[in-house]
Amino acid sequence: MSNIDRRTLVRGSLAAMMAGAVFSRSALAQSSEPILLGVSGPLTGPNAQYGAQWKQGFDLALDEIHAAGGINGRKLAYQFEDSQSDPRQSVAIAQKFVSDHRIVMELGDFSSPASMAASPIYQRGGLVQFGFTNSHPDFTKGGDFMWSTSVSQADEQPLLASYAVRRLGLKRLAVLHLNTDWGRTSRDYFVKAAKEFGAEIAVTEGYIAEERDFRSTLVRVRDANPDGLILISYYSDGALIARQARQVGLKQVMCAASSVYSPKFIELGGEAVEDVHLGTRYFPQDPRPEVRKFIAGFKAKYNGQEPDAFNAYSYDAMNMAAAVVKIGGTDRRAVRDAFAKVKDVSSVIFGKATFDVESRRVKGAMNAELVVRKGQFALWDGKPT
Amino acid sequence: MSSWLDYTINGLIVGNVYALVAVGLALIFGVSRLINFAQGSIYLVGAYIGWVAVVQLHTPLPLTVIVVAAAAALVGLIIERFGLRPLQNSVRIAPLLATIGISFVLDQLVMLTFSPNPRALPSQLPDVRFQLGGGTIGPLDLLIAGVGITSALLLFVFLRYTRLGWAVRATAQDRDAAMQMGVDVDRVNQAVFGIAAALGGVSGMLVGMYYNQIDTAMSLQATLKGVVAEVVGGAGNVPGAVIGSLLLGLVESYGVAVFGTSYRNLFAFLLLVVVLVLRPNGLFASARQAPPEPLTGTFIAPSRPVRIPRWVLLVLAAVFAVLPFFPVSFYVLQTMINAWLLGMLALSLTLVAGTIGQVSLGHAALLAIGAYTSALLSLTLAVPVGLAVIGGGLMSAALGTLLISPSFRLRGHYVSIATLAIGEIVSLVILNWESVTRGPIGISGIPPLSLFGYDLISPSSVYWFSLAVMLVLALLQGRLLASHLGRSFRAIRDDDVAARAYGLSLNRYKSLAFIFGGFAAGVSGGIAAHLYSYINHETFNTQQSILALTVVILGGLGNVVGAIVGSVALVGLPELFRIAAEYRILIYGIVLLLLVRFRPQGLLGTI
Repeated sequence: MSNIDRRTLVRGSLAAMMAGAVFSRSALAQSSEPILLGVSGPLTGPNAQYGAQWKQGFDLALDEIHAAGGINGRKLAYQFEDSQSDPRQSVAIAQKFVSDHRIVMELGDFSSPASMAASPIYQRGGLVQFGFTNSHPDFTKGGDFMWSTSVSQADEQPLLASYAVRRLGLKRLAVLHLNTDWGRTSRDYFVKAAKEFGAEIAVTEGYIAEERDFRSTLVRVRDANPDGLILISYYSDGALIARQARQVGLKQVMCAASSVYSPKFIELGGEAVEDVHLGTRYFPQDPRPEVRKFIAGFKAKYNGQEPDAFNAYSYDAMNMAAAVVKIGGTDRRAVRDAFAKVKDVSSVIFGKATFDVESRRVKGAMNAELVVRKGQFALWDGKPT
Repeated sequence: MSSWLDYTINGLIVGNVYALVAVGLALIFGVSRLINFAQGSIYLVGAYIGWVAVVQLHTPLPLTVIVVAAAAALVGLIIERFGLRPLQNSVRIAPLLATIGISFVLDQLVMLTFSPNPRALPSQLPDVRFQLGGGTIGPLDLLIAGVGITSALLLFVFLRYTRLGWAVRATAQDRDAAMQMGVDVDRVNQAVFGIAAALGGVSGMLVGMYYNQIDTAMSLQATLKGVVAEVVGGAGNVPGAVIGSLLLGLVESYGVAVFGTSYRNLFAFLLLVVVLVLRPNGLFASARQAPPEPLTGTFIAPSRPVRIPRWVLLVLAAVFAVLPFFPVSFYVLQTMINAWLLGMLALSLTLVAGTIGQVSLGHAALLAIGAYTSALLSLTLAVPVGLAVIGGGLMSAALGTLLISPSFRLRGHYVSIATLAIGEIVSLVILNWESVTRGPIGISGIPPLSLFGYDLISPSSVYWFSLAVMLVLALLQGRLLASHLGRSFRAIRDDDVAARAYGLSLNRYKSLAFIFGGFAAGVSGGIAAHLYSYINHETFNTQQSILALTVVILGGLGNVVGAIVGSVALVGLPELFRIAAEYRILIYGIVLLLLVRFRPQGLLGTI
C-alpha cells in the first residue's frame, strides 16, 4: 500500500530532476515539486516492525494534509531511508539528507544509538532532526536542531505510578523493565514517583529485548512478594510476561506502560492480558475529535485495523511536521525557528501540542486509564479487578 | 526451598525449547562438520508455515505438523542442493559463510511475505494446566519434551542401526573413504538436511505456539542458543545436544535466581566458554572419538592471491586521498568513512582469522572495548582525543588478548564459537557494569575527533584522518606479514603440529596476532565513538562481527588489500541498493551467496 507512495515519490522526484535539468532549476520546477521530508528509520533488521508502523501513520496523516489542500498548495512527501536502526547507516543517511537540498527536515531515527550518532551531523549541517520516539533524556541536548515530541518519561511514569499506587491502591510493586535506555530511564522515573506516592518497590528486574522466557524472572518476582507487577515493556514482551506470569501462578494485578497499547498486545497475550491495567495517551472510545478522526481514518485506510501507540506517534509527527513547514517554509533555519512558533497543533498524544522552547520537547501528554476487559481496551471504571 | 524446585523446573522447560534447535544443528554438524547458521531461519520458516496452516487453513494439529515438516524439509533440501552442494570441494569456510547468506535470504523473504509485525500462533492443544511446584505446565511443554527426546532417540537409533545411518556416520568420519566404499555421499547429505530441516521447522512452530508469538527476530536468537547448547553437549552428538540444552536452561535459570534477570545470557555464554576450555569437544564426546576438526590446512585452503602491482595500489591510494577535493557529496564521504572504519576492523580480523587461522565471530567486542575506553578516557579523565583513541587501541589489544587466550587451545569451528561467546560476554558486561559503562543509558556527549588541539569535524577531515589511520595500519600489517612473523603465523595456520614441532610457541604467536589485531580494531572503535558522540551496548553488536567476517572472507583470508576492498564493497553495496528499500538486505544476501559460490577463496585470494 505504502509502496505506491514511494513509487510516486520516486517518479515525482525523477521528473523533478529532469525538469530541473531542462529548466536549469527554474522556479517553475520548484513549485511543482512536493516539499520533501527525510525519514531515517528501520525497514529491515530487528526493529523493522516499527518502521512499518511509522509508514502507516505517516501515510494517513499525508492523506489528510493533502485533502486539506497541502502546504499552501504544495504537496508534502517523505523519503524513507532504511537505517536498520544501525548508527553506521544512520550517519550516512544523515549526510545524505543534509546534502540533499530538497529536504527541509528529518524525522527519526528509532533507537537511541542510531539517532544520537546522527545528531552531530544534523546539528552541524543545520537540518532539523525531529525525533518523535526519542525518549533518551540527552537526545535534545544534542543541539538546537534536535526537537522531539516523544512523551518524556519524566511526564509519563508519574502518571503510571499514580494509576498503580493511588488509584489501584497497590503498595508493594515489582517492576519489570526492558533493559534499554528507554526502559531504564522509565524505571527510574517510575520508582521515584511510586515511592513519593507511598509505595514500596519490592524488586526491579531488567531484561534484554530478545528475551522470551520469563518464568525464572517471575519466580524471583513471586519470592519478593509484591501485590502488583509493573511492566515497562513493549507489546510483544509485555504479552509474553503476562502469559508466563499466569503460568507460574502469579495472580497479582498487572499495570503496564503505554507502549504496550496495541491490538497486538491482546492478540499475543490472549486471556492472560485480561484485567491488565495500562496508562495510555488516548483510548478507542475517546471523545476528543482528533482521536476520533485518527481512529476512523486509520481503520478506513487499513482494512479495519486498530491503530497502536507507534502509529499514533508517527501520525502526530507528520502533522507536526506539516504545521512547522507551514510556518517555516522550506528554509532549514526558518524550519528550526518555526518549531518554537507552532502553537496548539492538534495531536492524538498531547491534545494540543506546543513545544517547550527550553527543552525542545512537548510537555503535558494526555492521560487515560485503561484496562483490558473481554479482550478489548476499555476505560477503567474504577472497579477493582 | 520450593523456589529452587521452581527454578529447576523452569530451567528444564526452557532447555527443552533449546533442545529442538540443538538437535538439528548437531545432526548437521555430525555429518558435514558445518555449523548451520541457517537452522534458525528454517525454524522461522517453520513457524510461519505453521501460522498459515493453523490460522488460514485451520488444519488439525497432526496435519499441521506434517505440513510444516514437509515444507521445512523441502527448504532444507533446496538449501543443500543449491546452497551447499556446489561448495563441497571448496574451502571449509565457504559453506559456513553460505549458511549465513542463506539465513539472510530466508529471514528477509519471511519478513517481506509476512511483514515484520509479530503474530499470534495459537496452540491447538487443549488448554489444561498441571500444577508442578509453584507453577504450572501445559500439554505443549510435554509435547515439546516429547518431540525433543523422541527425535534424539530416533536419530540415535537411525545413526546406529540403519544402513543409511551407517552411511551418514561413515561420511561424517571420512567423506572420501565413504565415497570409495560406494556410499552416495550426496544422498546422505540430502537425507540429513531434510531431517534436520523438518525438525527445525516443527520446532519453530511448536515454540511459536508455546509463546503464542512468532516474529522475524526469532531466527538469530534460536541459532545462538542452539549453537551454545549443541557445543556444550559435544558438537555432532545428538543425545549430547539434548543434555547440553537442558544444562544450558538450568544454568540460565539458576543465574537469574542468584544474580537477576539481566545476567541471564552472561551465564549461558560463560558456561560455553568454561566447557570449551575444560572439555574442548563438549561434555559428552567420547575420548576415543577422532579429533572433531582435522582442520590443519583444510579449513582455509591456500589459493593463489591476485597480485596487484604496487603502482596500482599507489594510484588507488592517491585517488582516495584526493577524493574530497572533487565535488563528491558528504554522503559519499561518510559512506567511505564507514568503509575505512570497517576496513580497520577487517584488517584486524584478516590477520587473526586469515593469517593465523583463528576465525573470530566476536570481533565487535574489540570495537566496543576500544570505543568505551576512548570515550571514557576523554570524558572522565579529559585525555586529549587523539591519545584517547590510541588508549582505546591499547586497551583493546590487552583486554582482547587476555579474554581470548583461554580459546588458544581450540581449533577450527570451536574458536569461532568461543569468540562468539566472548563477544556476547563483553556486550553483556558493558550492559551490566553500570558504574563504569553507564549500562543501557550509554555514553552521550563524547567529544568529536581532534588532533593537536584542532577539531576534526568536517567530513573531509574525518575522511582523511580515518583513511590515513587505516593506511598506516595496513602498511604495518603488510610489513608484518612479509617478515618472519608472518611466515610463522601462516605456518601455525597451515599445520599447527608441524609448526610446534619446529619450535614455534603457538600461544605466543597467537597472542602477538591478537595484540596487533586488537589494536587496529580498538582504534576503529575509538574513532567511531568520537564520530557518533553516543554509544551504548548495542552500538557494536553481533551483526558487526558477522559483517567483519564476511568482509574478510570476501576479500580473501589474510589478504590486507582484500580486507580493504571487501570493506568498501560491503559498506557500498547496501548503500547502492538503497533504492530497493525493504529488498536491499535480500539482494545483499543473494550477492553474498553468489560471491561465495563463484569465488570462495575471496576476491583477491588467500595469502
